[in-house]
Amino acid sequence: MIRKMARIEIIGLKKDLQDTIHQLHNLGIMQIEDIRSLSNILLQPINLTYDMTQKREKIELINAKINGLEDLFKKYFAVVPENLEDNSKTDEIGEKVDQVTTIVQQFTQNRTSLQEDLVLLSKYQEILKLMAPLFPESARKPGNATIGALLHTTQTHSMNMLINQLHSMTQGKFEMAVVKVAESTNALIGVLPREFIVSVEDYLKKEKITQLVLPEEYTLLSASEAQDRIEKKIENDHKELDALEDQFHELASTWGPFLHNWQITCLNFLDEYEIYSRIGETEFTFTVYGWIPNDEFQNLKDQLRESIGNDLVVNQLEIPKELNKKIPVALDNPKSIRPFENLTKMRAIPAYSDIDPSTLIAVFMPIFFGMMVGDVAYGVILFLLTLFLSKKIKTGIFGDLVRTIMVGSIWSIIFGFLFGEFLGTLGSSIGLKPILLDRTDSGSALTLLYMAIGVGVVHILFGLILGIGNAIKHKNKNHLFEKGGMFIGLIGLLVMVGTILKILPAGVNIVGYCFLGMGIILLGISYGKTGVILGPIEFIGLLGNILSYLRIAALGLASVFLAKVANDMVGMIGNVFVGILVAVLIHSLNIIMAAFSPTIQSLRLQYVEFFRRFYEGGKNEFSPFKKRILVNSKG
Amino acid sequence: MEQGIIALAAALAIGLTALATGMAQRAIGSAGVGAVAEKPELLGSIIILVAIPETMVILGFAVAAIILMG
Repeated sequence: MIRKMARIEIIGLKKDLQDTIHQLHNLGIMQIEDIRSLSNILLQPINLTYDMTQKREKIELINAKINGLEDLFKKYFAVVPENLEDNSKTDEIGEKVDQVTTIVQQFTQNRTSLQEDLVLLSKYQEILKLMAPLFPESARKPGNATIGALLHTTQTHSMNMLINQLHSMTQGKFEMAVVKVAESTNALIGVLPREFIVSVEDYLKKEKITQLVLPEEYTLLSASEAQDRIEKKIENDHKELDALEDQFHELASTWGPFLHNWQITCLNFLDEYEIYSRIGETEFTFTVYGWIPNDEFQNLKDQLRESIGNDLVVNQLEIPKELNKKIPVALDNPKSIRPFENLTKMRAIPAYSDIDPSTLIAVFMPIFFGMMVGDVAYGVILFLLTLFLSKKIKTGIFGDLVRTIMVGSIWSIIFGFLFGEFLGTLGSSIGLKPILLDRTDSGSALTLLYMAIGVGVVHILFGLILGIGNAIKHKNKNHLFEKGGMFIGLIGLLVMVGTILKILPAGVNIVGYCFLGMGIILLGISYGKTGVILGPIEFIGLLGNILSYLRIAALGLASVFLAKVANDMVGMIGNVFVGILVAVLIHSLNIIMAAFSPTIQSLRLQYVEFFRRFYEGGKNEFSPFKKRILVNSKG
Repeated sequence: MEQGIIALAAALAIGLTALATGMAQRAIGSAGVGAVAEKPELLGSIIILVAIPETMVILGFAVAAIILMG
């Protein structure tokens, strides 16, 4: 149901402003209106003082740092760690965050340096591996030196020129090998007498040719020695990196639980600063306008009086007509209905003047689900599955859907008994006899279709009655004609069908015609001038909506015949064990489909066919100014 | 022969409407998923939009049932 709301005004002295806002934040029962959006109120919104602005900026900075740290830490947690209570003030939080940031920066720096070192070493290792076998024999002779250069594969002409030049510079005492070291890079390795090395290196520098130079510690080593040294260094670096990761994990485990707590503390402070811009001020006073559930008004008044004193005035205001569409909506339903609240909100939060359809969804949706599945065994399996899942998933839309299916599975068991179904056609073999009808019997198919249409008629008529009630409540003549016209026309049609099926005496037929005509005329009137065309079209649309309930029969038949196929498979396949395996697979598939398809289809029947008769939906969900809460992963 | 034609007619009634529903849902569904990715609050409206073409296959089912039951 929708809670009755009260519009209130709080007027106080500016010296009490911060305490009042803090108290309202703690109470968390009032939605504060933005003073700038109230056209008839001529008050300036509060401007934060210099000190307040400074403090807000400081908290924003702390919050940004916490965000950065949480980003770094989150990969170390498979689930969000349990939050630890910490009632530190923002200054203390700032200091602690700075400490953690410094440690993390040091860790990150070390890790980056090691990673860069590893990348470089693996490059050297790769090049050395390629080059080692290609070093000319003369490289080992004393008095000889080696040079290396990298050239792009497209520079073949330049390479030839370089080789010629080196030959002439060393008077022909130059030996060389060329090896491809990357997709488009060649390495040139040359051996030459040591006395030419300076002039050759100068020449390479002058020509801007990239020299292949190993770090200083490897230059005096032979290629194989350098390779060994690099391998050892890589191994050590990996060990260091692993140790660093372990330390970082420990750091994340120590501080992670506090970070979320600190962030919420910071965000709560920021929320309070944010709310000031919605409050009006004069030279000495402040005024807050807002909404509160009516039954909480006295509680709010008492709490504020107690904490602030008698200088604060709390008034309940009349709600002007122009604000009727802005009244926020708070739903208050029993625990068993709450999972269905979110399904209502998925369509649209009700408008304040609407009926809360959560209870209606809670009644009809599981019944339709049960009618579609209609199998004792499937119902029991689905109930156990959803019972297990509901213990695991306690919040969110998925959790609500699981609970919805759980209620639906109970109805599946009930309809399973009515249809005499147990794993499809196995009902009869365990002595289960259909009480209402046998869905596998072709003779009952027509009855099943009539039943589905009958359910549709009752559901839509009920929706129309609610729509008529709404129209009368809001004195909306057009809606009254529209819903009333549909209702009367449908009753007329039912009377006509009754006479055709000889349930009603033939003489009543004329009453049916009159009602149908009158209904369509009233429906047409509600559409104004275009009603002559739109009236009959809308009425045909209404009949289409009723036929849409045939999906209850269609899905039911599909489910039972798939189960029948599964059972027949056991006999058809030569091997009994293979047959049973195939049957189990098909039944499992059917159960999975039974969990999804009937949920979507029964939800659609609520949204499209039922809601359209009475429900408009709004946009303003009640969102009180309240403290953010810690959500523990274990909770 | 006559029974075969009746079965074919019923199959066409439900098959063609199912095909048409699938084609409509393909277009609505892909656009809907895009919309929900940007605005999750539209999920309810998208479910309705995706479900609307299903009326075609339901009516096909009704026609097929009428054909088969004579």
